[in-house]
This record gives sequence, structure tokens and C-alpha cells, in this order.
Amino acid sequence: MLATQRLWPWKLLLAVILIGMAAGIWGAVNRIDYTWRWNRVPDYFFYIDEESRQIPFDGRVKSIIENGDVTTVALLSETGETVQVAIETETLRVTEGEELFEGDIVGFASEWSLGPLMTGLWTTLWLSGGASVLALIIGMLTGLARISRNYTLRGLSALYVEFIRGTPLLVQIFIAYFFIGTVFDLSRNVAGMGALAIFAGAYVAEIVRAGIQSISKGQMEAARSLGMNLIQAMVYIVLPQAFKRILPPLSGQFISLIKDSSLVSVIAITDLTKSGREIITSTFATFEIWLTVAAMYLIVTSVLSQLVFYMERRLAVSD
Amino acid sequence: MIKATNVTKIFTGRGQTVRAVDGVCAEVAQGEVVVVIGPSGSGKSTFLRCINGLEQFNAGSIVIDGVDLANKKTDINKVRAEVGMVFQQFNLFPHKTVLENITLAQKIVRKRDRAAAEAKARQLLVKVGIAEKEMEYPSRLSGGQQQRVAIARALAMDPKIMLFDEPTSALDPEMVGEVLDVMKQLAREGMTMVVVTHEMGFAREVADRVIFMDEGKLVEEGTPEHFFTEPREERAKLFLKQVL
Repeated sequence: MLATQRLWPWKLLLAVILIGMAAGIWGAVNRIDYTWRWNRVPDYFFYIDEESRQIPFDGRVKSIIENGDVTTVALLSETGETVQVAIETETLRVTEGEELFEGDIVGFASEWSLGPLMTGLWTTLWLSGGASVLALIIGMLTGLARISRNYTLRGLSALYVEFIRGTPLLVQIFIAYFFIGTVFDLSRNVAGMGALAIFAGAYVAEIVRAGIQSISKGQMEAARSLGMNLIQAMVYIVLPQAFKRILPPLSGQFISLIKDSSLVSVIAITDLTKSGREIITSTFATFEIWLTVAAMYLIVTSVLSQLVFYMERRLAVSD
Repeated sequence: MIKATNVTKIFTGRGQTVRAVDGVCAEVAQGEVVVVIGPSGSGKSTFLRCINGLEQFNAGSIVIDGVDLANKKTDINKVRAEVGMVFQQFNLFPHKTVLENITLAQKIVRKRDRAAAEAKARQLLVKVGIAEKEMEYPSRLSGGQQQRVAIARALAMDPKIMLFDEPTSALDPEMVGEVLDVMKQLAREGMTMVVVTHEMGFAREVADRVIFMDEGKLVEEGTPEHFFTEPREERAKLFLKQVL
């Protein structure tokens, strides 16, 4: 038999299956009474925020300069102070020379603002980004402690890893916020990020330990035989090689962390998931919002895994 | 240069104790080439690894160039910088180029600047005959080339003693010669060498003295002429009959 295989029948089959699944979902949704309102979704990403512009003092209108859609109004106070405000031309409410009191509305200016889906995404990003950095530091130190010669360090790190891996993250978040957060007076953001970091740190520790142990003993011996001390041998020889090996499992762990960060919504941190829930309570666009939220998580995690894929290829030059 | 007295190394595990090295006394003078031979598991590699502290021995003493390894105040890193080691599995650093393999320890242990370290490395690469490979990664080299880089890496530290732990055992037969040639050249230049090997030809040709070990003990030692033609001990006779 020849090694070459025709690919197109399998591609066709894949397409048929995907189209079939989409059609099935479409049919199922049509059978229930649900009105799709996709047109409302973009407003939750960005929306135009109309804000009134007011005069900050008692005074009068000094000049009105119209420039297309934007009008600049110069305001003069009784003490001779001048302030300029920019508003939209069609919302202008004053005339030149008019006397105004503090707080009177001159006009309206509108600007693009981030909707709750974007602010929620931002919260999710900085929360999991910060937790990832902390988890990496915790995991590095714990991973090294796991293979240390010192019994106490080994014992402590083993207990930490066992405790964290043996209890649910949701429970850990509750403990971090309601127990530790109360005792040490932590804000919900600190408690949430801390819980995520400590949770992921335990897994990172095991990844780091396995990575270091997978480097052959000969590497350490060769480095030591050249007169390097333990720390130099670790920093220059063992850790760079271990890093290359742990990059794939590590990135998997950080992708998990982004997804797990949705659990912090239980302590009222408005991340992407909680934003989605809040939007649904006011719009009832349940299907649209959850599908959108899922797509947003998917985009973030795919970007991350592509980034790691690229890094892996660059690190592979010495293979 | 090296004076080992009653060196004993005991491995324990699963309730068993193995005396891998059992009361070995040996001396190596400056400029001398000593070849250690013996059957597998005779403790010759373990003994060699004791000389630069990769294995800590349980009893006895090893004094290298006046420095006592058993003394707790001895800085083992300083001793190791003076004692080059070449391994059976080469143990080149796979994430560094050939040139970086040879310059790294010079820079961080000997504190040489980049230019000096690279000059030294290039000079040694010429010596071991692979000057053109300096920018390659070890994975692109043949076994023989890797082992020659490993020898250059050890020599770059300007060691007083070179230890070789079965340097040709992991090589394809056609590559053994190129590595042995480099070692012979080193011996001619007066390097103090301790070589654990199964290459009897090398022992006969290059060694000033041959040490035969079996079951952790030093069984017999002598000049190669004497050892290979008329060994005294029964075990040595039997071993030679099997390998020659």
C-alpha cells in the first residue's frame, strides 16, 4: 500500500458533520420560542455615552466657535477666569453673551465608552495575568523546595501541594475571601487574585519539579565538574533546559487559570462571567450573551496558545 | 598530585549495602597517565568520581595537589575547577552552541572576559580538530565530535588533572579513534590523566601505569608491559583472557 492518502474525502466528511451539527442546533432552537436579539449585543462592548457639559462657575458666554460637528464654547467667570468646553454642535443650548449660573448645561458631548463585556474582560485579564505571575513565582519556589535536600522544605511544599490539589478551587476562593480576607482585612480583588495564584501555584510547582527532574543528572554533574556551584549550575544549565520542557504544560496551566478565574464571580468580582450574568438579568438575552462570553474566553485562550506555540518554535533551534 | 588512601564508598538502598569502592589506595604523580581497568561494576568509575567530589566517599582520604577533599573546609568548587572531567555520555549542554559550551564556565568560574574566553575556546577547538563547528548545537554533531568538544570544555579551565570516565564507551566504533588521538596528544603534552576505559590498546600504548580493580578493590597495579604480559593475580589473568 502506498503511504500517500487522499485527504479530501475526510475534509468533506468533517464539513458535513459540522454543518449537520449547526443545522441540528438551529432546528432545536427554532422549536422553542426564543427571539434572538443579536443586534443588542454590540452595545455591551462599546456604546456612545452622552454626557452634559456644565459651566463650573457663575458667568457668561464669551464666544461660540462652530467647527463642523464640534462647537467650542468659551465661558468667562465674574472674576475674569476663562474656561473652554467642547460640545456637539446640535446640542448647543446657549447663545453668545448669555448670563449663566454655576451648573447650567451648555450642551452635550458624546464619547465612546467601554461596555460591561469589555470592562469584564479587562478584569478577567488583569486578574488572571496577575495571578499567573504570582503563581509562577510561588510554583518556582515550591518546585525547587520539593526537590530540596532539606526535610522541612520538602515537607512544607508537599503539604501545600497536597492541600491545594485536594480541595476544590471554589471552596478555596470562599476560604480566601470569607475567612482569610476577614481576618487580614483583604479586599475582594486581593483575595480573589490570591486564591487563584495559590491554586495555580501548586500545579506549577509540580510542573517545575517534573521539569527539573527530567533533565539528565549528567547535566548537573558536568556543570559541577567545571567548578560551578549549585546555584550557577541551576541558573545556567538546568533551569533553561527545564523551562523549554515545561513551557507546554505551563501554558496549559495558565489557560486553565484564565478559565478558572470565572469562579471569582462568586465573591462579587465583576469579571467577564459576572458581567455576562448582570447583562442577562436586564436584557434576558441569555443565549446571545453566554455564546458571546464563551467566544471571548476562546479568543483570549487561543491567542495565548498561539503565542506559546511561537515561543516553543523559537526555543527549538537547539534541537 | 593525587594521593588516595583507603578510599571507601558505600551505597545503601533497600536494606542492601554495597561497598562500591573498598579501601583503595593509589597515587598519581604529576604528568603521569594512569589507566584504570576492570570488569563492569568493579567500582572504577565510582572511584574516579570520588576524585572530583561527584561522589562523596565514606571513609579514607583523597588529597589533590595538597588539598584534602575530606576536610569540611575545602571548597569543592575550587578543586573541581582544577580537575577536568570527561563523561561517557559527553554531557554537553544541549541548549548552548559549541562555543558557548566551552566559554560558559570560563566566564562564570574563572571570571574571564568574553574575548579571552572565546580566544581560548577557539584555540582548543583547533587542537581537538573541529574549529569549523563552533556555532553548531551539540545535537548536530557526531558522538566523536561531541566528546572532543567535551574534552575542549574541560581543558578550557586549565585543569591540572584530567579525569576520563569511559570516554569512548558510548561511541560508534569508527569514532573511537578520533577521541583517543586527542587523548594521546594530551598525554604527550604532559597532562596528568586518570582514565577509566575498556580500550586495552590505549592502555598499553599510552599508560605509564595500569590499575586493575575488581569488586571495589584495587587488585593489581603496574606498568602496562608487565600487566598485560605477566599479571600476578588470578582475577587479572581471567579478565585479560576475556577482553583480549
